Amino acid sequence: MTAGPLLAAQDVIVRRSGERGQLQTVLHATSVAVAAGEILAVVGPSGSGKSTLLRLFNRLLEPDSGRVLLAGQDIRTLDPPALRSQVTLVAQKPYLFEGSVRANLAASARFRKLTASDAESTDMQEILALCQVSPAWLDKDARKLSVGQQQRVCLARALAGPCQALLLDEPTSALDRQTAEQLALTFRRLAERRGLAIMLVTHDLSLAERCADRVALLLEGAIVEEGPTREVLSNPTSAAARAFLSSPSAVDEEEAS
Amino acid sequence: MNGAIIDLSLWDLATVYSLLLLSLGLAHLLKANQSRELFWAGLRMFVQLLLVGYVLHLVFALETPVPVLLILVVMIGFAVQTIGARVKTRMPHFYRIVGTAILFGCGGMTFFFCTLVIGLEPWYDPRYLIPLAGMVIGNSMTGASLAVERLAAEFKERREEIETALSLGGSVQAASEPAVSSAFRAALIPSINAMAAMGLVFLPGMMTGQILSGTEPMIAVKYQIAIMCVITGSVAVTTFLILRLGYRTYFTPYQSLRED
Repeated sequence: MTAGPLLAAQDVIVRRSGERGQLQTVLHATSVAVAAGEILAVVGPSGSGKSTLLRLFNRLLEPDSGRVLLAGQDIRTLDPPALRSQVTLVAQKPYLFEGSVRANLAASARFRKLTASDAESTDMQEILALCQVSPAWLDKDARKLSVGQQQRVCLARALAGPCQALLLDEPTSALDRQTAEQLALTFRRLAERRGLAIMLVTHDLSLAERCADRVALLLEGAIVEEGPTREVLSNPTSAAARAFLSSPSAVDEEEAS
Repeated sequence: MNGAIIDLSLWDLATVYSLLLLSLGLAHLLKANQSRELFWAGLRMFVQLLLVGYVLHLVFALETPVPVLLILVVMIGFAVQTIGARVKTRMPHFYRIVGTAILFGCGGMTFFFCTLVIGLEPWYDPRYLIPLAGMVIGNSMTGASLAVERLAAEFKERREEIETALSLGGSVQAASEPAVSSAFRAALIPSINAMAAMGLVFLPGMMTGQILSGTEPMIAVKYQIAIMCVITGSVAVTTFLILRLGYRTYFTPYQSLRED
């Protein structure tokens, strides 16, 4: 494998026109990286630019300046569908296509244009087991599963292909505490057993604490603190980080609404 | 039966205009406040149709293709303009896309009918080409408006679905397939309904016109069937082109959904 990080953003700047047409900077020269087998949690309050940052990595958004790299290669040199097949985003609210769980998994292979031999080499049984998708769900209407179950199907669907990295946007925000904790364990297993690079953005510090190797704290479009999870969460160096970490629950409420 | 058509004299026209006066009187009686609109609409109709009549008279007499084609171009221009005014949400490059679609959809179908089926001699015979093109374009406008409107609505409603498909590595074409097929279905419904109801609810205009001007009813019926097929074909091709050219405008060059 490559020695460097699997995914990296270098000095990305994103501007967006605000409500009155004026240009707002959503991300200020931000750099983050995540290696294969590693989980990076980008935490911050709502509106801090977390989702924007995440969407740069599969090119749903393009930065105004800076570079995004996959295994050292600028993603602009890759075909976007091929990139997204390897660096797969799972949205905050699980979206399942109409039909059964099986049909959803098949849709993934269809969108990725997997050949029969590709599909055969994907070990679906293992993926389902890792994501804790019960074989009993396969022929059920995917949209009738619980939200937690749906999120697991979305994970399995994302992995059903040449996926090397997962981008998770607030993966547990729609779930109750217990389900969220179980899902955090699933993320750990996916990183360790399949060597996936996982970048997740969340405002939920306990999720970061439970599964992330490293944490990057994003406030108002800038990373104010980055390092091993325990260090950042227990020993923040900047005042802004201390303020956010001491009262994330206020933010938690706001974002849940 | 097939005697010469009964012409209307100026005096006859003046007599039927008395019916508009009657309408004016009734509107006044009910305080409907419609006198101005009725008056102007009646006047506009008279002037506009008289002008069209003179132009057609002239074009028929000229016997050259250029003025005929010019009229067709003007008709297409008006059609695109009308669709633009009718739909609330216009896709980027709207005029270019709809113009191209109508040109090839309506134009193609009309010429197919006139040259391959009727076998017009000369190919531009304005007596056939202009009214037939008018019917084809007019009916295709409805389909085109529906297609444009529906495509925009589908892209709005299906944002999550389309983004999920893209995120799994789906191509722009694969991700928009459900939106495109739904828009196509919506655009074709009026043509399908019109064909199914043909003859039951009302006698269609072209057939009525032909019968009035002395055509054998069976011939008029065959023409009506033919024109309905041409119209449906034209709606399908025009809509197909609008959708195939249009769905891409909802995506960025790097194949993600545009923010709106």
